[in-house]
Amino acid sequence: MSGEGLPVLGRLRRAFTLGLLVPAADALVLALLWFVGSLFFGFLLHGREVYFAGPWWLPLLVIVEGALLWAAWGRSPGMVLAGVVLRGSARGRFLYWALSHLGPVGAGLALLDREGRLPGERVGGVEFVEGRPTHRPWYRTSVGWAAALGMALALGAAVGTLQIDLQALLTKAPATVKYWQQVLRPNTSLLTLGIQLLIETFFMALMATLFAAPVAAALSFLAARNLTRGWIGRPVYLLVRLAGSITRSVDAVLWAIIFGVWVGMGSFAGSLALWVHSIVDLLKLYADQLESIDPGPVEAVTATGASRLEVIRYAVIPQIVNPYLSFTLYRWDINVRMATVVGLVGGGGIGFRLGGALTDFNFSNASMYMILVIVLVWAIDYLSARLRAKLA
Amino acid sequence: MAHLVIESLTKIYERGKVRALTDVSFEVERGEFLVLIGLSGSGKSTLLRCVNRLVEPTTGRVVLDGVDVTRLSPRALRRTRRKIGMVFQQFNLVKRSSVLANVLTGRLGYVPTWRALLGRFPKEDLERARRALSRVGLLEKMYARADELSGGQQQRVGIARALMQEPELLLADEPVSALDPATSHSIMQYLEQMNREDGVTVLASLHFLSLARRYGTRIIALKDGRIVFDGPPGAIDNAKFKEIYGEDAEEVEVR
Repeated sequence: MSGEGLPVLGRLRRAFTLGLLVPAADALVLALLWFVGSLFFGFLLHGREVYFAGPWWLPLLVIVEGALLWAAWGRSPGMVLAGVVLRGSARGRFLYWALSHLGPVGAGLALLDREGRLPGERVGGVEFVEGRPTHRPWYRTSVGWAAALGMALALGAAVGTLQIDLQALLTKAPATVKYWQQVLRPNTSLLTLGIQLLIETFFMALMATLFAAPVAAALSFLAARNLTRGWIGRPVYLLVRLAGSITRSVDAVLWAIIFGVWVGMGSFAGSLALWVHSIVDLLKLYADQLESIDPGPVEAVTATGASRLEVIRYAVIPQIVNPYLSFTLYRWDINVRMATVVGLVGGGGIGFRLGGALTDFNFSNASMYMILVIVLVWAIDYLSARLRAKLA
Repeated sequence: MAHLVIESLTKIYERGKVRALTDVSFEVERGEFLVLIGLSGSGKSTLLRCVNRLVEPTTGRVVLDGVDVTRLSPRALRRTRRKIGMVFQQFNLVKRSSVLANVLTGRLGYVPTWRALLGRFPKEDLERARRALSRVGLLEKMYARADELSGGQQQRVGIARALMQEPELLLADEPVSALDPATSHSIMQYLEQMNREDGVTVLASLHFLSLARRYGTRIIALKDGRIVFDGPPGAIDNAKFKEIYGEDAEEVEVR
């Protein structure tokens, strides 16, 4: 790089990425390695959990020094993320390593350099350039070795933490015999009640799906990147997507507990839980579908002088109707299965009774309910798959 | 007055800082059949899309019938667009919709929005659609789904859609690049017919110089976003050809 140098924003970005982000990422990776290593050797040597082995200065030294050496002499995880390699002589690399101890001060000094070079780069005559150093696949680089080491240590630490008892798994099966005997003799006197509850469960799923689909369909147009442009559209897009992600990350079971407190336990709370979860789940599926439509027809209809609404009506909607229906059927099928699960935590329907039978260790009753659930889930699964095949 | 005036048009795409067009200027008289040639990436598509502002020019003006298209409000732009038909390399039909529905979208610039949203097109437009489809020989395919048609048939639907606009100007973005040679000629003849019988000014980009020579009344060649030739089809000799397409190029004919 030479000539007029980088604009201020470019320098800022370069200094921030190479001077701060790359070492921070490398240090984080090394810290994680030290952590799982401590757990692993803790179990091996002392038979107990050791979260951070060694006196405080030892891991600190290894993490900081390791990160700086890694960036100077190899291709560290941070460099992989930033998509850069360091070019230069051995002497230059040594100088780079020495000067990179300046840390954030070095990144600050890079802002004063016309090309945004870090002090180590400038003095050592080395340079970060975009690209890949070799044609080796990533798993044969230092990053790959670090990942493999981390995985091996984590596996060892996990075996220690979870108190795995293979002996119990292999020898204590006979203790469950009396439960299996009950399971094999379902309480058939519950058949009528069970079917009533099953119908309730089925309707929970149906209502949740039917009321979620229009809400999700309307919102999906605000959550599709290709339809939300400009200074109003983009913030709305980000907001809807963010709200959707947050709501979706709360499981339907948690929603059932929330609504159980809100409107009282029962099938209404269960339906609401499924409804909320269906909206955000369908919203994502719908919006992703909108983002993958063929832009050609949109362009063509726009070119005829059509307004925005007309473009959506004639170029967008015909492309999404069938996929939307297909996703809705798929979600209905999920809801039928989920209705039992939310029932377990107080969402009403057959799941609630099933949960009760299980806590009472009444496996004969539980067995009857489970058979009914399996039949329903299987039937809906089959039906939904057939209908979706027709829509394709 | 010229039908279409392009004045020092420049387009720079923000992301890659690619200069697609650099200071392009020319005038088109009413009734001309102007063919744009040049390698892929020479700026032909961008130029066509700047005319109806599917792509916003960075600087420069596009003047159609004395009106500066680059300065129009969104509403006025839609009114101007309905006089500009466009056909595309990939036809750009709504594949899941019927042929009729695709053709009727050509009237969206004329029909009130509420009617359009309800799908209640006026009787005259349905009649117009029948006429457009019989003109391209596809009346019997009216209710077929667009994706059931062959490539050539789909492009004819695209032409019918443009006919519905009763355009004064037709933009054709490599209309035959996805078609075989025989079908290409049939499509080009429809464009020629619109040009000669309806007096529509045509701006078409084409890959094959032989097609350009056969159908164009004038040829403009672009290279790296600049005009390197502007003149009658006969004036492109071997030296000019090498300049446009590069030293190693060989002319291929479509018969």
